[in-house]
Formats: sequence, structure tokens, C-alpha cells
Amino acid sequence: MSDLLHHIVDRSADRFPDAAAFRFQGRDLTYAELSRQSNAVAATLIDAGIERGDRVGIHLNRGLRVPQAVFGIMKAGAAFVPLDPQQPTGRLTDVVRSAGIRCIVTDQQTAASVLEVVDGGAGVEFLLGPDASGTAERTVSWSDVDRGDCAFNGVPGLVPEDMAYLMFTSGSTGTPKGIVHTHFSGHSFASTAAKVYGLTPDDRLSGFPPLHFDQAMFDYFSGPLAGATTVIIPEAHMMMPASLSQLMDQERLTVWYSVPYALVQLLERGALHERDMSSLRWVLFGGEVFPLGQLRRLMELWPVARFSNVYGPAEVNQCTYFHVPPPAEWPADWTALPLGDLWPHAEGLVLDEDGTILPDGSPGEFIVRTPTMMSGYWDGAKERNTVFFTRSRDGRTETFYRTGDLVLREKDGLYRFLGRMDRQIKSRGFRIELDEIETAIARFPDVAEAAAYAVNDDWGTRLIHAAIRPGGATPPSIAQLRAFLAGELPRYAVPVSIRILDDFPRTSSGKTDRLALEKEHQKQQTALETD
Amino acid sequence: MEIETTLTRFIVDELLDERHGKDLGPDDSLLSSGLLDSLSVMSLIGFIEHEMGYHVSPADVTIENFQSVRTISNYLRLSERGSVDG
Repeated sequence: MSDLLHHIVDRSADRFPDAAAFRFQGRDLTYAELSRQSNAVAATLIDAGIERGDRVGIHLNRGLRVPQAVFGIMKAGAAFVPLDPQQPTGRLTDVVRSAGIRCIVTDQQTAASVLEVVDGGAGVEFLLGPDASGTAERTVSWSDVDRGDCAFNGVPGLVPEDMAYLMFTSGSTGTPKGIVHTHFSGHSFASTAAKVYGLTPDDRLSGFPPLHFDQAMFDYFSGPLAGATTVIIPEAHMMMPASLSQLMDQERLTVWYSVPYALVQLLERGALHERDMSSLRWVLFGGEVFPLGQLRRLMELWPVARFSNVYGPAEVNQCTYFHVPPPAEWPADWTALPLGDLWPHAEGLVLDEDGTILPDGSPGEFIVRTPTMMSGYWDGAKERNTVFFTRSRDGRTETFYRTGDLVLREKDGLYRFLGRMDRQIKSRGFRIELDEIETAIARFPDVAEAAAYAVNDDWGTRLIHAAIRPGGATPPSIAQLRAFLAGELPRYAVPVSIRILDDFPRTSSGKTDRLALEKEHQKQQTALETD
Repeated sequence: MEIETTLTRFIVDELLDERHGKDLGPDDSLLSSGLLDSLSVMSLIGFIEHEMGYHVSPADVTIENFQSVRTISNYLRLSERGSVDG
């Protein structure tokens, strides 16, 4: 049976009213409180004229207001749009405009950039959260919301196929691209993940990823579905592995889910030998490739926990899983972890360039059909033909999402990741289109050409570097260029180094040879490290 | 005050971007206000070790020690004394 996503919280409130749904800095938010407080948000939004299908932004730092906003917005029949409070104002404005956001849920702390966007005329009519100040827009403060009406009975006409949330990710054209998830796709993910990883009311999940990162849906939906507690990890702990491991120990976390980068940080700088992690039963990681050597060391350090590789683009949430066997059983010829096997209720196929379905053992593009799939891109009619593959069977159309990932399914039935078909990369788990970075650099004066590429570091991730070819006699200032990019791109997408070259290496067809730039950079880096 | 000045200069010149302005007080929170991210923390530790000549043990990279320029400086002074005293 299909449910609406916010029913998750009300149902758990009936079963476990006094259990903590979320926890932040030692404070609990029980299921009963979350149910009531999200009702209050919904009532406030409806009062302000928010209607079914509207988009409402969430621009908050980590904390207990986030789940309240997530569920409150959905209860009002609207879709929540996670907004990264760290992103530059220009990009925030682009997202707010593109999503047609009428209302933003924020707070006093993060409201400054929201007010800048509102003043820029992005079409926002209503702010929930900041203390009412001299702004022209209508504002309701959190204290008014908290005093408001908690008896709220839902919005009529809302069906599981309606949009529940809209997530923006890097787009190759330079404008962020919105992924539309419905109550149905979100709930399908929540329940399948809760089942696959056996979540129970006794579990304590790591709320590690920020809300604008798709992995967070595990913490916000699967955890509450099982009646578990999600411990939201404060910003400062994300940067301080030794404090993070202390928190994991004190909070007795049982299930961890993050990008490999965070786990490699914990392994290398987390003072893990001083911590008791015996409560940890399952460690999930995804978004990037976990280097085998570091994974082996971590698994040896935490022998009780199971480890699993999670795979799935944000467009489908998740579609394969791989439970990693103990290191002693690893085949000697492993160079990387398999993506694994399809998870329940998913069909996967491998396609060649002409759209022909390939047999096992042939490399090709991975396509997948699953109830956890998005309904499409926001405003993305033009992309329909390129991101979906349709197959007709007995007059019925089956729709697959084209992942753009090159894979191979081997005799053991497991998928292997071979690479990307386009120029999308992951850095610290964040998905970045290198074309978006090059487009941004090329907007800077006196840049004739730009090339962005990713180079492996030793921390289980890749960092972005760039090279430019100057357009005029005097090369542009790199410091000014970096400052310009900080205003255009999210921080994780700003290249860590930019060098000036008289010309770029070229392929035989005269195109920029980015692979050559990348290889040369990697070689120099390795030479420096072995000095 | 020398440690404070060196740290502040490095953070302002190398780690902060336009949006955060260029004013950084010794007690401003480095970790909870979006001023730094995990990558810039790594650069900061690299700077303290390679340019300032201190050894920073991973177990010491904690919120208590790194929340502001002042707490980092106090930590470095203590660790210096610790290593001299043996």
C-alpha cells in the first residue's frame, strides 16, 4: 500500500510517542512533538496561502527545526526544496527562481542571505522563521509558529504521485538541475532501505549528510519509518574527526551512512583506538569509490559491524547494494568493490550506444527501473528523451532511468562500476559537472579557455583542479578569479588550484585533452608526496 | 600574540572567501558558522605543521581546540610547553 511521506511521522507518533525521532546536541525531539510541531508548520503555511503543489524552500543550519520543516511542508501539500545555506547568493537566487519558490523556511541565523535573495526580487512572498523585522515580505517567526494551531487534519486531494521534494544538483549547462521526487518514490525508498538494512526502533542513525544531499533521505525517512532515532551531527563535528568519533561513541550510534571520505577521515584522524564503537552494527557508504586499503583497515578496526556499498544516483535514490565480506575473504584480484546486486523491486539493464540491450559480461550504460525513481526533472521536458529509456511490452510502456554510469555485470551477478559516460564527477560525495565549472571560469574576463579536471587525493575522494589559457597579454589574477568563483559555485566545486598555461594539451581532433592534464597533475602530486 | 596574528593572517588570506568578508576576531567561531569546511581545516593543519613547525596529533584535532583562533593558539602554546617539558 502506498502512503504519503509525512504519514511516516504520524504513524510512528502513534506507536512510539515518547521515543526520540531526532536528536541534536543532546536534545531530543520525540515523535509526538515532531508530529505536533510539523502540524503547526503546515497550519502556518496554509494560513499564508500555500497550496498543494507549491514549492517551499528549507534554508536552515543543522538542527531540530529541519525535520519539523521537512514534514510540515509535506503536510501542507507542498514540496520541500533543500537549500544549502553555504551556497553563494547568486546560485541560491537561481534555484529559488527556477523552482518558483513562494515561501522559505529559515531562521534568524541564516536569514541574511535569504533576505538578500528576496530583495533581489526572486518572487518569494512569505518567510517562515526569522523574527519579523523591517522586511516588506510577510514573515511569521518561529515563536509564533510554536504558539500556533497544532490540530491539523491534512490537505485534501493529495495523492502519492504528487511531488514531495525537489532536490537541486549540478547541471552541465551551468544552471542547477532539479530532481522531482514524489511521495510514492520517496516512500518506496524509505521502506525498501528500512527493510534491506533491518532498521528497528532501537536503532540510532548518524544524521551525517546535509539535507540537500540525497543520502539524507535515509536519515529523514527510513529512520522515522522504523521508529528509530536519527542523531543529527553538528556542523563542527563534520570537520573534526576526533570529536565526531567521540560523539559516535557517546551517542551509541548503531547505523552509519555517509560518503567514504567521512569514514577515511575518521580512520586517519579520528583517534579511533580511544573510542568504543561496539554499538555500531552497520556501516553504509556510497556516492564514491571507497579505496580498498583504507576500507580493509577500517573493517579490521570495527570487526563487529557489517559494511555495505550503496549505489544509486539521486534520480533513483538507491538501486544496488553490496554487503562487503570480511577482508580475509576478499578475492585476490579485487581492484575495487563491486556495486553489487540490484536491490528489491528494481530491474537493471545494460545498454550499448545504440540503445540495444547487452548480455551479461558486456560493458555499457546502466539503466534502471524502480519505484524509487524520480518522476522527472523540474521543468525538464527537453531532457525526457535523453534521461529515460522506454521499452514497450505488450502495449505497455516501461520507463528506465539512464544513469550515465558505465558498468559491467559479471558471471557472479554483481555489477562493476567502470566510469562515467559524461563529465560528471564526485568530490567528497558531491556531484559536480565539470562543464559547469568551466562555464563559470569562462565568464571571467581575459580567460580564453578553461579546463577543469579531478585528481585523486589520499582521502578516498577526488579534488577539482583547473587550468586556464589567458585571452589577453596579461593573464588574469588567480586570486581574483578564485574570489569570483566563490560567488558563482558551491564551495565544494571551486577548484583547489588553478594554473595558467600558454596552451592546453590537445587530442588528435584538436579538443582539450583533459585526461592529459589530469594525468600530468597526478604525476606531479605523486612525485611531491614521495620526495 | 604572534601565534594569533600568524593564524589569523593565514585563515583570512587563504581560507575565507568573499562572502565571509575579511574580518576575523580571535574569538569568532571557525567551525559552526560556515567559515571553514573540512578541506580548509586540513589546509589549516597543514599550515600549522609545515609552516609554523608544530606537531598536531590527530587526537588533538577537536572542536575544543579548534573553535577559534584563540583556542588554537592556546592549544599550540600548551603543546609546545608539553614537548619541551618532555
